[in-house]
Formats: sequence, C-alpha cells, structure tokens
Amino acid sequence: MSLPPEYFHEINTLNREFIEASPDDILQFCADYFQRRLASQRHEFLVANPQSRKSGMVDPNIRGMQALQEDEAVASPTASSFPSNPFDTTMNASNPRDAGNGTTADGHQFNFGGFSASVGAPPSGGGDASNFPNNYNLNRRISVSAESLDPASTFSSNWVPPFYPKTKEQQTRLTNAVAQNFLFAHLDEEQSSQVLGALQEKRIPAKGVKVIEQGAEGDNFYVVESGTFDVFVHPSGKIQPGIEGLGNNVGTVGAGGSFGELALMYNAPRAASVVSAESSTLWALDRVTFRRILMDSAFQRRRMYEKFLEEVPLFVTLTPYERSKIADALESKKYPPGTTIIREGDPGDAFYIVEQGEAEVFKRGADKPINRIEKGGYFGELALLDDQPRAASVISKSEVKVATMGKDAFQRLLGPVESIMRRNDPRRGQAGMEEVDPLSKE
Amino acid sequence: MSYPSPLQYHPDSHDSIPSTYTYRPSYSSSSSSRSAETLARDHEQLLISHWPPSHRSSGSLSPNRLLDKPTSARPIGNSLKHLRPADFDQIKTLGTGTFARVWLTRWTHPHDERSAHQVYALKILHKVDVIRLKQVEHVRNERNVLAAVAGHPFITTLVASFQDEESLYMLLDYCPGGEVFSYLRRARRFNEPTSRFYAAEIVLILEYLHEKEGVAYRDLKPENILIDADGHLKLVDFGFAKTVGNRETYTLCGTPEYLAPEVIRNTGHGCAVDWWAFGILIYEFLVGQPPFWDQNPMKIYEQIIEGNIRYPSAMSPDARDLIAKLCTVDTSKRLGNIRGRAAAVKAHPWFRGVDWDAVFHRKMQGPIVPQLQGPADTRHFDEYEPEPEKQEVYTRELREKYEEAFKDF
Ligand SMILES: Nc1ncnc2c1ncn2[C@@H]1O[C@H](COP(=O)(O)OP(=O)(O)OP(=O)(O)O)[C@@H](O)[C@H]1O
Ligand SMILES: [Mg+2]
Repeated sequence: MSLPPEYFHEINTLNREFIEASPDDILQFCADYFQRRLASQRHEFLVANPQSRKSGMVDPNIRGMQALQEDEAVASPTASSFPSNPFDTTMNASNPRDAGNGTTADGHQFNFGGFSASVGAPPSGGGDASNFPNNYNLNRRISVSAESLDPASTFSSNWVPPFYPKTKEQQTRLTNAVAQNFLFAHLDEEQSSQVLGALQEKRIPAKGVKVIEQGAEGDNFYVVESGTFDVFVHPSGKIQPGIEGLGNNVGTVGAGGSFGELALMYNAPRAASVVSAESSTLWALDRVTFRRILMDSAFQRRRMYEKFLEEVPLFVTLTPYERSKIADALESKKYPPGTTIIREGDPGDAFYIVEQGEAEVFKRGADKPINRIEKGGYFGELALLDDQPRAASVISKSEVKVATMGKDAFQRLLGPVESIMRRNDPRRGQAGMEEVDPLSKE
Repeated sequence: MSYPSPLQYHPDSHDSIPSTYTYRPSYSSSSSSRSAETLARDHEQLLISHWPPSHRSSGSLSPNRLLDKPTSARPIGNSLKHLRPADFDQIKTLGTGTFARVWLTRWTHPHDERSAHQVYALKILHKVDVIRLKQVEHVRNERNVLAAVAGHPFITTLVASFQDEESLYMLLDYCPGGEVFSYLRRARRFNEPTSRFYAAEIVLILEYLHEKEGVAYRDLKPENILIDADGHLKLVDFGFAKTVGNRETYTLCGTPEYLAPEVIRNTGHGCAVDWWAFGILIYEFLVGQPPFWDQNPMKIYEQIIEGNIRYPSAMSPDARDLIAKLCTVDTSKRLGNIRGRAAAVKAHPWFRGVDWDAVFHRKMQGPIVPQLQGPADTRHFDEYEPEPEKQEVYTRELREKYEEAFKDF
C-alpha cells in the first residue's frame, strides 16, 4: 500500500516544527503536535464542512438532531470525566491517558496502537474506564476478519494441534508469562495445555535479528524464553530501509515478556518492530493454531451437549434450534470425588448432565447407592418442572464434570418447560413424570 | 458455445415490462453467437432497468413477496451472465472499505428515457484481493444473502451480480443520503427520538435476518447504515453476513469496537452478536462514541470481555437498561437472544410508543431527510482517493484454484 499524500503533508509539517523547536522530549512534542492537529481538524470539519451546509444540516436541531454545541441533554455532573465536547477539547498532554501510549522511563510497560508488551509488570490500568477516552478516533472504522474456520473440516480431518514437548520449568514459565493475557485467562485446562503444547521454540542466534517488522503482516504471538529484544516504532507506521529505518526505540522485552498478541485475533499490520538485542530464545504461536484449538474444543463440547440433550426425555419436544440454545448456555462444573452435588430434600433449581466421571444416587434409608450415573447420564431435570424437593442425593464417586443449567436460565431462553412439554408429544400422557426421572428408577 | 437458456420474465399484473421491450430470443441463430450474446445482454439490461416498477415509489417488496427467492421471475438479486462492467459508466467513488470500492454508475448505453436517468451503486471486488484477504467464503455469503433478502425495505437491494475475468460486481440500488456515520459525527450525537427512530428500523432488519432468513449480519456500525432519499435506513455491506441457522460459527469478523465477547473468545457465535452490536450502536448514537475504546485494540477486547459499560449520568434509565441488556456478556441473558427474540427487544420500555407496523411500512417521517438534486446527487458522500494503479495479477494458478468458487456471481 502506498502512503497517502495527506500523510506526507502531516509528517513534513511536523518535521518543520520539530526543527524549529528542537524539543528535548521528542515523543511529547510529537504527541502534542498531533493532538493539536486533530483538535483543529475536527473543529474545521464541524464548523466548515461544506456538506453540512449543503445538506441543510446547519441547524440540525430542527430535525431532531442535537446541536453541535454542548447541550443540556448529556452535559451532566460527569462533565469532568466525560468531556463536554471531545471534538475541540484542548488536549491536555499532561493527562496520563493522552500521553499514555509511550513508554515509561524504565521501559517496563508500554503500549501503543495495535501492540503491547509487558515485562512482568502489573496489568495496565487501561482496561478500567475510569475516564471516557477523550481522544476517541472519529474516523470511519474498517472491518477486520480472520481466516475462515470451518469446524466440520477440522472435525472430519481429525485435526490435532501440534505438540512441542517442554520441561516442567519451561511450562511454568510459559504459564506465568501468559497468565496476564486475557486471551489465555478463560481457557479451560485442556485448552491451556493444548495451547502451551503448541508453542514452538524459535532460536534467535544473534543480536540484530528482526523478529517482527512494523507494518508487516502478523501471524504469530511470541513469548520470550531467554534473552532480550528491543522494540522500535517508526513514525511512518512502517519500517523503512536504512539504519534509521527502525525508528525510535520505545522499550525492551526480556524473559517472561511477550509481544505480538494482536496477531492471535486477525491479521493486522504490526505496530512495531522487534529486534533481538542478544542471542535469544522465543516461543511462537500462530493464529490459526490458536483459534483452531479454541474452536475445536468449543465445537466438540457443543455437539456433545446437543447429543446428551437429545437423550433427555423431558427435552424430546425441543427443536434443534432450542437444543443448540441450551447447549450454548450449559455451564461446565467440576466436583472432586465425594462431593454431594444435589442433596435429597433440598429445593431443586438446576439440572445436570454428566460429562465425565461417575456419580452415585443415594436415598435416605438405603445404605447402598440405588443408581449410578455415568457420562451422558442426567439428573435433577425435574427441577425445571416444579419446585419439588430433590428426590435423592447424587454424590460424585470419581472426579465428576457436569454440564449444568438453572431453571432461571432455561426459562429465560425458552420459557416454562411445561409449555414446551405440552407440544404434541405422543409420549405425553403415557409416560408419567416419575418414569422420566432416572432418580426414581430402582 | 452453446446458447444459455434465456431469462424469462413472467410479468405479473404489478411489475410488467412494457410490451414493446419484450425480448424474444431467436433460438435458431446459432450461427451468430456474437449477436446472440449482445441480445442476451440487452435483455438483462432491460430486466433490471425496469426495477423498481415505475408506479412504485420505492423498490421494496411486500412482506410476503420478500420470501420468494430470486428467480427469473423475480427480477432482482439474480446472477446475470452477460452484463459487463463496460455497460456502466463509473461516475464517482461512493465509498471504500477493506475489501471493495463502491462506485456510483449509470448505463453506458441506456435503451430508453427511463434507464437514461437510472443510477446504481456498483460494488467492485478484485478477485485477487478477495483471495489474498481470505474473503472467498465471505464474498460468496455476501452475494447469496443479499440475493435472498433483495427487496426488503431497509436493506440495499442487490439488483444483480456479475463478473469478468478479474473482478466481481454487485449492482445495488443507490442510496443517496450517505452514511448515518457522517451525520452522527457531524452532530456529535443523536437525541433519543432520533436514535429511537433509527434503532427501530434496525430492529426490524435484525428480526427479519435472524428469524426469517437465519442470517447473522456481523458488521453492524454507523458506517454500514445509509440513509435513503426518504430518510429511511438501508443496511449495506453484507460482507460478513452468513446463514447460520441453528449452528454456531467461528470465524472472527466484524469491526473492533463492535465485536461481541464470544467472537473474541472464539467459543462459537450466532445471531446474538448482532444484538450485542446493536447495544453498542445505540450507545454510540446517544453518546457519540462507542463504550469500549482504546488506542490499542487488544485493550478494547479486554474491556469487551469484561463488559463493564459506563454511562453518562444524563442518559435516560430506559436507554441505559436497554443497552445493558443488549450488551450482556452471557448470551443466555442477552436481550434479543432470549425467549421472544426480537419481540423481546421491541417490547423494551425504551421503545414504548413505537408503532412497529408503521415503522415497517415506512409511514413515519425520518429525522433527517437528505436534500437532493436529482437521483445522482452525491453531496452526502465523502471524497475518496483514486484507486491505486498497481494491481496484483490474478494468475493462472489462482484462477485454476479459485474460479470455481466465484461461479455464483
Ligand atoms: N448502495 C449503496 N449506495 C450508496 N453508497 C453505498 C452503497 N453501498 C455501499 N456504499 C458506500 O460504500 C462504502 C463501502 O461499502 P461496503 O461497506 O460494502 O464495502 P466493504 O469493503 O465491504 O467495507 P468494510 O471495510 O466495511 O467491510 C459504504 O460504507 C457506503 O458508504
Ligand atoms: Mg463497510
């Protein structure tokens, strides 16, 4: 892609101003410059946009739109945190949020458009929106898309994720390194171990190797096993030829640090270049593998749930659409051996399907279990129908993983079970409720 | 070359082509396939240039005709095999996106008074770009979904699609009011009645797509919502629309600020993502910017997963409640996805007083009615840089591998 002429105009003006001012704090100067430019350009756009005049929008109030000036409707006590008019706010560069995309003095943590890296530092406060971002980018936004993932093809080809063995210590280090990353935070055990297994070692034999180049396509996420890397940003948004081409050094990443995580979402141009500062070792994970691992386990789990649900007599009248809704909303829970999952006499409010392990059914008065429930077995579903107390207790024999859903969630999604059962079920009226209940089988 | 079967037009009492234009293919003239080709093209041009029928003010179909699929009997949304880009003059770029450029066009050789004044939006995608950006599946979905929904009052009508060696073309009704995005940025934000008016039309679009077509749209944002000559909305850009039915789907797509948490987490998603995005959209209408934002996209995604939205304290409790219910991370609690589906959204107090039937029949006056001088007025569109000269080549290898995938166009 060639850079637009407006862009060069901006950079050239910045260059001129820079030479005139020869500031000490380079980043601050540039940041201020762009903030000023942005504010004035937005202002111009608003007051002088010929379209707004031509289109009869000069006084939009008439047609139910709010005036360009601040209005009472939203101006409020939050005005300090919700700037009254971000279009022409004079940006306060000492506000940490505005200056916030640079690097801290010690380079421990930095974060700039499309790229972030952290070196064992506490997570950035960027996530807690204690302020409305007052430098919101007001341009048209472009769509993003990753490569098509088709679960059926993965499924039929029996795809298994690549596995690269690691030592215990390496595993621990990796686990810690990705612990702060929200993309990894929601993984279950199996997904975690698949993802960690798929990280591939990449040796960087010398200083000066460019691992990623600003502006280039990004397919991999990296964790630093050993060594250090320098991070550079060129103001043009793209690495340039020549020694100066890397741009400014904005920080370093050392062992336990990571970079390039946006590549795990979709292919976006890299926001920085990363160059080895010594001979080093990295772990690399590519997007397609990562997303495929996530997809695969989600897909298999959903199909398993749907299949289980088909077996539950209470749900025979569900349409495939409804069944997939329920499958989507089932929650996974794990119980160590010997846990009482439901207790006889307690009010019932959820049903369970056993996904893994084995549980036993006990009834007061009997000293032996009256029933066993294994993978695919279900219990407690009558709780969806009425508020009868539990007819028996279910205790995990081994570790048990269940998929569960409360009555609330069920009704929220599909409405009362009674009305669902009342649909032309040929079996209705023949099978009494008790027969449907596996707990009552003796 | 064998002569392709002629398109047949079965005029019904409402949409008939004047008999003087009726095309009678000559089956016998296999000797001159050249002129047969020309004739076939004329016929195609004729078919579509009589859409919409002149006695109708708009090109919308009635709710029940909407469900007829495009066929030779329904003159819109078909893949036409004889039209060529040379049949259209490109007047001006209307917009560009990641994948395509959209032009305002008119007939190069209008065959009558009426078609001389007709303009269309022509969306052009280069096959080689589609392949490079891994959008082959998406583009096929786009054409097929647009064809299936052609004629809906609030969706840009796909008049026809065609292709040549290098590119894919979607001929769309021109929507002259420009993007809601432009109006929103200029006004900074919309007041509640304006926001409600647009939101109501969008609810009807989503209801139709989800419940009648089983389609998830997946790219709701002000940039993809246009205003038509009467001040009503038209949804454009079905680049990510997909028929999902009751299966979930996994490919990450959308626009960063509007992505639903389940898309980011790759746990499988469906139509519920549109209700999430709908909440973000209403927020952006009312506040002027979306609720989740950061310079660094990864930080946006982190905020989305957490799902904590801050509201300006002056936002009305009903609006706040609606947004909170739509932007609910847990899909089993998300409004629109739960029991009642779109009906549950319509019943929300924020929409109190909305006459949904009147909305569908476009009986309400829109808050912005664009001023226009003639059908080809482009004042409401921004200026765009000319298209870069350099084009990657669609090589023979690529052609052999992919051409089959484009055959629906
Ligand atoms: N029928 C139409 N009438 C008028 N303008 C249109 C029409 N269709 C599209 N446009 C304009 O062209 C722009 C780009 O079109 P579109 O969104 O379909 O392209 P895209 O490349 O798929 O975009 P994206 O990057 O959002 O995926 C739209 O935002 C709109 O401004
Ligand atoms: Mg678009």
